Amino acid sequence: MLPSYLTMAAILFCIGLYGALVKRNAVIVLLSIELMLNAVNLNLVAFSKYGVVPSLTGQVFALFTITVAAAEAAVGVAILIALFRARGTVHVDEFDEMRR
Amino acid sequence: MDSFTQTAWLIPLFPFAAFLLLTALGRGYRRAGVMIGSIGSLLALIMSLLVLFERLDPNAVDYSNSYKWIDLGDYTLKVGFEVTNLNALMLVIVTAVSFLVNVYSAGYMKKDERITVFYGYVALFTFAMLGLVLSDNMLVFYIFWELVGVCSFLLVGFWYARPAARAAAKKAFIVTRIGDAGLLLGIIVLFWYMPGHALDFSSIHNVFNEGQSGAITMTITTSIALLLFMGVIGKSGQFPLHVWLPDAMEGPTPISALIHAATMVAAGVFLLARTFDIFEASAAAMHTVAYFGGFTAIFAATVALAQNDIKRILAYSTISQLGYMVMAMGLGSMTGGMFHLFTHAFFKALLFLAAGSVIHAVHTQNIHEMGGLGSKMRITAWTFGIGALSLSGIPPFSGFWSKDAILGTALDEDPFLFAIGLAAAFCTVLYMSRLFFIVFTGKSRVRQPNEVRESGLAMAIPMVVLAVLSVVAGFVETPWNGWLGNWLTGGGEEVHANGFAIVASIAVGVLGIYVGWLMYGRAYREQSPAAARMPWLVQLLERQYYVNEFYNVVIVGTVRWIGKLLHAFDEHVIGGAVRLVGFTAVAGGRVMTRLNNGQTQTYGLTAVIGLVVIIAAIVGRRFW
Amino acid sequence: MFNIDFNGEFAAFSILSAVMIIGAVFMVSLQKVVHMVISMAAVFLGLAGMFVLLDAEFVAFVQVLIYAGAVSILMIFGIMMTNHQNKQADPVKPLHETLSAIAALCLFGMLFYAIRTTDFPDAQPLEGVQNNTFSIGELLYTGYVVPFELLSVLLTVAFIGAIAIAKKGED
Repeated sequence: MLPSYLTMAAILFCIGLYGALVKRNAVIVLLSIELMLNAVNLNLVAFSKYGVVPSLTGQVFALFTITVAAAEAAVGVAILIALFRARGTVHVDEFDEMRR
Repeated sequence: MDSFTQTAWLIPLFPFAAFLLLTALGRGYRRAGVMIGSIGSLLALIMSLLVLFERLDPNAVDYSNSYKWIDLGDYTLKVGFEVTNLNALMLVIVTAVSFLVNVYSAGYMKKDERITVFYGYVALFTFAMLGLVLSDNMLVFYIFWELVGVCSFLLVGFWYARPAARAAAKKAFIVTRIGDAGLLLGIIVLFWYMPGHALDFSSIHNVFNEGQSGAITMTITTSIALLLFMGVIGKSGQFPLHVWLPDAMEGPTPISALIHAATMVAAGVFLLARTFDIFEASAAAMHTVAYFGGFTAIFAATVALAQNDIKRILAYSTISQLGYMVMAMGLGSMTGGMFHLFTHAFFKALLFLAAGSVIHAVHTQNIHEMGGLGSKMRITAWTFGIGALSLSGIPPFSGFWSKDAILGTALDEDPFLFAIGLAAAFCTVLYMSRLFFIVFTGKSRVRQPNEVRESGLAMAIPMVVLAVLSVVAGFVETPWNGWLGNWLTGGGEEVHANGFAIVASIAVGVLGIYVGWLMYGRAYREQSPAAARMPWLVQLLERQYYVNEFYNVVIVGTVRWIGKLLHAFDEHVIGGAVRLVGFTAVAGGRVMTRLNNGQTQTYGLTAVIGLVVIIAAIVGRRFW
Repeated sequence: MFNIDFNGEFAAFSILSAVMIIGAVFMVSLQKVVHMVISMAAVFLGLAGMFVLLDAEFVAFVQVLIYAGAVSILMIFGIMMTNHQNKQADPVKPLHETLSAIAALCLFGMLFYAIRTTDFPDAQPLEGVQNNTFSIGELLYTGYVVPFELLSVLLTVAFIGAIAIAKKGED
């Protein structure tokens, strides 16, 4: 069963990666990143059951990841709101400050 | 008692010091420059004479001294000097002509703004030539050999503002280089096969002397001799590398006298004399040398018949006389060759200086724009006449004795070469009488006749001195007194006294003068009646047998073609590669600029692609 | 191709994975942002189901609470607060999109290759876990107490920071 879960996680991760690279709306980019994090969580939990040495540690790590992801989503959305207030848009391709 | 001989190494240092001083002083000190140059060569001359007087003692032994230069494992490269009778004679020739030319140039080059530079070059040349004469091994000899070549290059191109001078300088340098390459190869082969890799002349003498020549096989000896002879061909203007010498007349006339008549071009003959044992050990090489010399003698003499530039006539005459010397060497008569070198140095230098005096007066080198100068330039005319008579081999002038020594040898050794030599002698007399009669007799055809006057003392005195030398120098070796031969070779050479040769040579001389007078002396003609009947022959001679044109087409053309090919290769292949690299860099830069657009997603994409590539590289290693 | 006998877990896995993949694909391909978030919520719920399949009930519970609940709501709020104008046409960047797709596919191919070629040994059953939530709580407060406390600090800082950032400027 493990390869199936891992493949599933890989699919999710790659879709998330594609979304993060392509989507213009910053909120969707954030969402895509959440998707990638979820894929990681799936891996962690799958290994916690089907790994060579099954243990609850994987689930604990998944919990930590979820917590961090929640914090990240909160801060990310806050930044987006601030950005929107400052620039009037959340389209990623309109921010090219790094060019200078 | 050999104190002067032991300090002979000082001789080249006088002109060298003069050169350094002149270079340091710069162009400002015109008079001082002349003095320094002249004093440098005067001191060298005095030293050389002292050395020569010591050598005149019949008990004098050859002296050589050398210092360690480079240690190469077991082999030690030495640099040193050697004084033999041969060297002593050359020392005197070089320093004497050099000093006289220095004095002469004070008048001739008076108005040139780079006179100090000129004197510096002359001093450097004198230094190099004396170093060449004194060197005790082939390697040092070769170094100085190249150094005189450089000085010749500098001095031929002295008036570098003229394109012709530049071209002539380049031609002189490049053409002699062909011969020098052969000489270098010869030295390398010699170094390889000599026992103990010795390159000094005394070892060469010991190895190749008769009886001990088993150390090196015949084939190798012949090839060494022929390779060395290539150097001689280049430096001494022998056919087929003679083409540079007439062009070298673009240099100042004193230079033509010093370098291209008396000393540097004689260096080839001197090399033959120095390595005479190698040549003597190989009959094939000797024959080659003799026939090259003989051919050059007649070839250049005929060309000189039809030239119209006074210096070119003399240049071809020099080539021809050098051919005589080389022929004498090839016939086994080192005495004859060196003797002719000795006398030729004086009378040819004299001729050039006198020609310079003429050019100085009339500002042209075309003999048809001269004429009737004898009455206005008495000293020049007289000294030139003496030189011409000496060159023509009229007794009792020096040229007669030396030419007779060569012709006598030729008659004994190879009648065919004797005939060639005699024919060349006839041509020599003919072109000299043509030159003399057209320039100094008849009506004046000078553009500004009023400006023609005798040159000053500085120019006249060297000419007179050389004229005296040209008269008396021949008596050191006469058919009944082989003093020079005994002194040079230690009595190892028989004197070729041959009544027939003497009579023939005098007859040819007189006949030549008579014919010359008939053709050119009685009345000036642009062209002699004989020449008018054979315009193609005149054309052929005037264009110097089309040797230059032939080289232009065959050698220069080929080299150009190869050059074009290589250039195309360079342009399209190498240059293309370079441009491709440049284009790649620029294109890469453009792509990078596009990538660097400040957008996070592009950066992210780049990072992901990089990650994929890295993983692919790591994983991919599994598959091969 | 997966060489797995068809049992209940597999059936559930298949259904859940279908839901998740469809949701994820909708998420990246739908036009309206709200639809995207909703399809994303489907993915989160499907993932919770998978956690249940993997005997991780507590994680599944947390997943539903935080992702399907909090994060989705947060995102919807974010969209609502930032999306009230610009209807201009999106400038398409075909090269960028193609390259991204290729890169993602390549990465997936590599991961898939690695997963397929790796020989996973058979897992021993997890011992001594009767109550998943209880065991996790025990683990968190014994072995992982320091990271746990640090994480709580992080969360606090992040939320305070988020409020500070999103708050309207003082001026």
